[in-house]
Amino acid sequence: MRLRLAIAAGRLTALAARLVGRGGTALPGLVAERLDGRIIEKLVSGLPDGVVVVTGTNGKTTTTKMLVAILESSGRRVVANPTGSNLARGIATALIGVSRRGRVEGDVAVFEVDEAAVRQLGPRLEPRLVVVTNLARDQLDRYGELDTTAGHVAAAIAHASAAVLNGDDPLVSGLAGGVPAVRFGAVGAIRSTMPDDHSLYGGEAPAVADEPEALLVSSAPDGDGQRVVVRVDGQDVAVRLAVPGAYNGYNAAAAILAAWRLGVAPGSAVGALEAMPPAFGRGQFVDYRGRRIRLLLVKNPAGFNQVIRLLAEDHSPATVLVAINDELADGRDVSWLWDARVEELASTRHRYGAGGVRSADMALRFKYAGVEAWIESDFRRALDRAVDEAAEGETVYVVPTYTAMLRFLELLRPGVARSEAWS
Amino acid sequence: MNPMVIVHLYGRDMNIYGDTGNVLALRRRLEWRDIPVRVDRVDVGDSYDLSTADLVVAGGGEDSAQMAIAGDLVARQDGVHEAVAAGVVFLTVCGTYQLFCRRFVTAAGTEIPGIGVFDAETIGGGRRMIGNIVVESPWGRLVGFENHSGRTMLASGQESLGQVVKGNGNNDQTADEGAITGNCFGTYLHGSVLPKNPALADELLRRALVRRGVANALTPLDDRVEAMAASAAAARP
Repeated sequence: MRLRLAIAAGRLTALAARLVGRGGTALPGLVAERLDGRIIEKLVSGLPDGVVVVTGTNGKTTTTKMLVAILESSGRRVVANPTGSNLARGIATALIGVSRRGRVEGDVAVFEVDEAAVRQLGPRLEPRLVVVTNLARDQLDRYGELDTTAGHVAAAIAHASAAVLNGDDPLVSGLAGGVPAVRFGAVGAIRSTMPDDHSLYGGEAPAVADEPEALLVSSAPDGDGQRVVVRVDGQDVAVRLAVPGAYNGYNAAAAILAAWRLGVAPGSAVGALEAMPPAFGRGQFVDYRGRRIRLLLVKNPAGFNQVIRLLAEDHSPATVLVAINDELADGRDVSWLWDARVEELASTRHRYGAGGVRSADMALRFKYAGVEAWIESDFRRALDRAVDEAAEGETVYVVPTYTAMLRFLELLRPGVARSEAWS
Repeated sequence: MNPMVIVHLYGRDMNIYGDTGNVLALRRRLEWRDIPVRVDRVDVGDSYDLSTADLVVAGGGEDSAQMAIAGDLVARQDGVHEAVAAGVVFLTVCGTYQLFCRRFVTAAGTEIPGIGVFDAETIGGGRRMIGNIVVESPWGRLVGFENHSGRTMLASGQESLGQVVKGNGNNDQTADEGAITGNCFGTYLHGSVLPKNPALADELLRRALVRRGVANALTPLDDRVEAMAASAAAARP
């Protein structure tokens, strides 16, 4: 009875939020959890194929989206939390949104979970699978130390039936404890371009022991996307992803492997992966004043390095606007800019600008990296300047932190930003 | 002239919060003045005579990293003291600053011995001090970001780096921030501290060049972007 009441109240809250034009995803879950503190446990227990948790520092959102697409194409009804709502209340909101008469109408749930929230959610979700993309230092003023984060993830895995782990990331590979684990990874040539947190800071990366269950054997840019081959179960799965960068090859390998563990044949993942558009801000294109703008969200040095690699591999001249904010959601501390390999951009043919609340910090980072860049802290003027500098047919890369991205989306697609951002 | 030698001490383990930016700032500000420079990294177990360096830079790290280097630092403390006595310029930030004090007592009560270059000690635990910080120093206003739970108390007679105008610095009871003994500097400021505070970076370089007898090599640089970044940081929470 309490459960039904909680679901009804949550749904009513969601309806009211929509009526006043707010797409809020936290409030319905908060209201429902207040009425029934075990609403999440009760609803997930009705999912025949269980719960998959996707966590890690970078790639959570895209990996989740890939896995959802593969599972849906196999005919399963998938419950997922919207981008950015990766705490308990976002999960509760997602569950009550598909519940009728106290039961969730779905076969399987795929939840992206924040690394800091995963410890608490492990015992509540008792996941069938925990997928860990990677672990790297991220907003130390918010998340604290990396060892602490690794401990949170290990604690969650202890409540799971199995784990899907990044075998190339020394911090992740050993997190399984006594839980059965399968691993994804890449051949040496790709792995060496993807520094883990250890090698990023000058340490020697430990040797990778065994061939992982899913191996990224090739990865190459293909227009706006990435052409990758993932070897699973002795079979080469060739996919042309709509999202760029070798790091998305890792995400695809993780998603294919996780889906395989849930009974989806690797070969049948291709169609869903190829049709999947980029997630919010993760390689997404927006047209603006006759130019194509590509949004590449950055949150931490490891993610920034992936974007730097992608920019360095784009040999056509482009305009790049890096916009750094320091709001709470971005992390107050911008020291991480000094950990990113901005020096690699010095040999590109792109033009650079620094924007955001901390535009001067980014400009300073560019200066010490030997990269010329202009400074413009006003969001509209920075965007217009980047677009003005781009020749016909050139791409404008906008590389923002989270809250800077929301500001740009307001300018690029008024009204759309808020509903897409969900939170 | 022979290249100026910057040692990045414990670069593998103590490099959190962008401490590599300090090494980069010193290197670039020498290169921009056409002064030859070399950077050597010294990690746990590496033998290296620090007295042969011109500048030594060491940063902060996670608790586990700090534990990992503490023993090595004690093992090489005679070498460090000799180098400090010889006037080698040191910049120690956060975790290594704490270990350059007499001792560090963790929240759990464990005592990590320091090497006592600074007459000070640190007590761990309690509310974390996090945020942008502004300090008045003999080299003008310094701006950085602090993130530490250790509270460092200077003994009377131990010179500080400066006085906190905004933020906490060494602790939340006194206005002291950092410490200076001879040419050895300690601070909680990262951000990184030197790129945003070129006057401090140049003071470290000036002291190192004076030892080489070429102090007049520090020609002025255009530091307008540096000043903008410092102003922006000072205005943020």
